[in-house]
Formats: sequence, structure tokens, C-alpha cells
Amino acid sequence: MATPVNKKVAPPRNRASGDNPLSAWFNQQSNAFRFSMERLWFNPMSTWITLTAIAIALSLPTSLHLLLKNLQTLTADKREVPTITVFLKQSISEQQAKDLAELMSNQPEIEQLRVFTRDEAMQEFRKITGFGETLDTLTENPLPHTLIITPRLRLLGDMDIDMDAFSNKLKKYPEVDDVQLDVEWILRLRAILSIAERIVLVVSVLLGLTVLLVVGNTIRLDIENRKDEIRVTRLIGATNSYIRRPFLFGGIWFGLFGGILSLVIVHAALLFLIKPVGELASLYGSTFTLSGVDVLMTLQILLASSLLGVIGAWLAVGRYLWRDE
Amino acid sequence: MIEFKQVSKKYPTGQLALYNVNLTLEAGEMVFITGHSGAGKSTLLKLVALLERPSKGEVLIGGRSLNKLGRSQIPNYRRRIGFIFQDPHLLYDRTVFDNIALPLRIAGMSHNEIRRRVQAALDKVGLTGREKTFPLMLSAGEKQRVGIARAMVNKPTIILADEPTGNLDPELAQDIMFTFTQFNELGATVMIASHDHGLVERMKKRTIVLQKVDS
Repeated sequence: MATPVNKKVAPPRNRASGDNPLSAWFNQQSNAFRFSMERLWFNPMSTWITLTAIAIALSLPTSLHLLLKNLQTLTADKREVPTITVFLKQSISEQQAKDLAELMSNQPEIEQLRVFTRDEAMQEFRKITGFGETLDTLTENPLPHTLIITPRLRLLGDMDIDMDAFSNKLKKYPEVDDVQLDVEWILRLRAILSIAERIVLVVSVLLGLTVLLVVGNTIRLDIENRKDEIRVTRLIGATNSYIRRPFLFGGIWFGLFGGILSLVIVHAALLFLIKPVGELASLYGSTFTLSGVDVLMTLQILLASSLLGVIGAWLAVGRYLWRDE
Repeated sequence: MIEFKQVSKKYPTGQLALYNVNLTLEAGEMVFITGHSGAGKSTLLKLVALLERPSKGEVLIGGRSLNKLGRSQIPNYRRRIGFIFQDPHLLYDRTVFDNIALPLRIAGMSHNEIRRRVQAALDKVGLTGREKTFPLMLSAGEKQRVGIARAMVNKPTIILADEPTGNLDPELAQDIMFTFTQFNELGATVMIASHDHGLVERMKKRTIVLQKVDS
């Protein structure tokens, strides 16, 4: 008896006729997309408050990051090339110095190497000090040949070379008398900047977490307000993913729009700073200009904020669905 | 089509709602469930819609036991059922159109298909032209008819109605019962719980009377 009955049930006439699963999925997505967008502006006041909170939380790490980036470009100014001076022994002849220079210049740590002969050194000394006559009385040039090395060292250098090891290596050459590093200041600055980088990272993580919580809490409240709706849709056959979907989109909107708003805030702050910074730079005779948020960074910020939004929403809905079943 | 085999339902509160119910409904049949309040009419319908699970026994739909249906299969199963409540459970922040369209949106139908079907459903319950109205502006009878349209729009094979005319005046109640008859004539299996004996008798359909269980 069950067989004829089965036949009546079998034709899937309740299915979306003519709709394959892919287009059904697409329809569901686009519905949730539209619905969540409309839903966002149901209560514009609270939406704006949430968006502003997210934007402020996001703009802080962004501006710190910009500050750091600007400091780094400032100190990476080409005029301040760090150098190492290698003093050769008195007994080394000019030809030997040049041979040594050629030998050394193959080393990967060296960007540029110049031989500064004792005659050149003497001339320079003469020029700077004005002891010309006194120096004429010397029968022999007391200055050694020197090598001026520009190491491959950048503030943001990926070629991070160990300066101490390098200078020890230089000292081991029998021709070398002494090595003077003129790069300490840059190493110190690098150390400070790397601490600052860590601080920015910590602040970013904390404020990212804030965004997550703000979105999560907003979505949680939204769920509370729409409990009845969720119950009714469940009764008529909504799956968990159907229920979840508009909230996830909602989370993306909060993240994305919050991110956009934070970029607006950061740009406004930059505009506010451009003039005084320009003035300061011109006082130092520098052509330094503030660098802003580039396209890549914009995309990164928007992607990150949307991601935070969707994760926050996922956590809120997941918790509800799990508790409610 | 629908078969109850020695079904008992005891709620966690200790209340025994159904005891040893055996019942068979043919496909395309229309039956009324009557009985005093507390006799388990609602429970019977809820077991079919899987809003509750039996404590003992099993419910078979089309020869398949609902006990074997996992949690993940429930949504899909419910889409084949139209459930009408005494309170129609409408969403008050959405228009009549959006309320009725809900099951179709859940199924992921295209916009054009949804429009066509919702119009047809509105036409059937006599609410043509009211699609942009919000439920708060409707009378009790109109709300109930929106609820019915929502249950019908997906062309379910089984229609369950729990006191669908409970709040309505007799004339309207009669109207709504005729709407159910029409759906039944189109092939749906219909189960209606009602305590309105007069109305049930006038419909001249198979009637199942539930006795209150003494526990």
C-alpha cells in the first residue's frame, strides 16, 4: 500500500521548479545580500553609531602605521648613507690597498667601496684644518690609506646584516689596522623602530578584537530582535545556513563600511597635518612629504575589516544557533 | 500517506498528550481532528511537522519513518509541509508579499517565479492587491488568510492547520474551510485540528476524535 502513496510524494513539485541548485544558491545569496543591506538602514542611528565605533577602532592602528612608515622614509633619506671606515696599516702601499679593495668588493655585505689614498686624505686634512705649513714640515705622510665602505644597509632593509660580525671579519684582514663603524645611530634607530612596529602590531590586534566584539554584539542584538522571525522561518523549512546568511552579510557590511569610514577619518587627519609638516620639512631643507594610504593598503584595510565583521557575525550567530537547537 | 503507529507523546513536564495513537491517512485525504482542548490535537500535528518527536512509536510519511530523519534533513522535509497556526505568526516588519514569499525565498526561487506564485496565492485567498500592505493594517481574518497563502505558496503535499478559524467569525471560518477544500481537491493531504463541531460537521469529511488521556 505504501507504493502508490510513494509515487504521489516522489515528484518534487515543492521544489523550485526549473531552478537548479546553483541558481537557487545564487538567488538565496542575492536575497540575503539585498535584505541585509536594507536591514542595515532600518535603524540608521544605531547603525551609524556602530559604524563610527568600528571606524575609530580601525583608524587608530592605521594612523600609527602611517606615522611609522613616514618616520622610516624620513630616516631613509639618501643623504645620510651610513659608512664604515677601514684604516689600513702604514706599511700598505697604494697598489696593495687597491688590490685589497678589489678583493673585498665581492663581499655581499658591501654596497659600495672606495679607496681613499693617504694623499687624498692629506689634501682633505690640509683643506679642513689649514695646517698647510705645519704639514709641509713633515717628511712623510703619517696618514694611512683608508677604504670607505657603504654597507648594504637600509632602514627597512630585508638584507639584514650583522654589523658586528662584518666588522670583525674586516679586522681579520692582515692589511687592516682598524675599523670604524659610523652606523651605530642607524642601528639604534632601527631598534627603536622595530619596537614601535611591535607596538603598532599589538595595538592593531587589540583594536581588531574590538571591531570583532562590536560587530558581534551588534549582530547579537539584531538576532535578539529577530528571534520570532528566526522561529517562523525555521518552521517553514529554513536551514541554519539560510538563517545565518543575512547576519553574515550584515557583519560584512559593518566591517566594510566601518573600514571605509576609518579611511575617511585617516585622510582627513592627513589633510590636517600636511601643511605644518611641509613647513617643518622646509625648515630642515628637506623635500619630505607625508605619504598617505596607497591603493594596496586601502584594499588591505577594507579586506581586513570585512573579514573581522564576518567573523564577529559568525561567532554571534553560531552561538545563537547552537544554543537554540 | 500519513501513518501513526502506536504513537505516544509525553512532555518533559510529565503531561501525557497522546497515548497509543494508530491512524492512517490516504494521500489526498482531508480529515478533521477534534476533541477537547488538551486532548492532543496540536501535538498530533506537531509530530507530523517534526516540531515534536514522539516518546514512543513512529510516524510514517509516504512509508518513511520520521524517526529516521536527521536534524539536517528537517528543513528540507518541512518545505513539503504547509503549517497554519491559530496565530498566523506573520512577520510584522514585512509586507504581505514578503511574508508570503518567505518559503519561496528559502527554497531559493528566482524573483520572477516568486512574483508569479505569490500573486497566484494571493488570488486564491482573495487578497489580490494587498501585497504592499503591512500585516498590522489587516483584520484578523485577512492575517489568517496571509498565513494560509504562505503555507500554500510552496505547493506542499501535506497541509496542517491548527485551529485555523479559532479567532474568526463563522462566515469567515466557513470561507477559510472552503479554501482548504480547494487545496485538497488539487491533491494535497489536509489535516485540520478544530474544536468547532458545527463547522466540522458541515464539511462532511472524515473526523477523528481524540479523547483526553487520563494519566
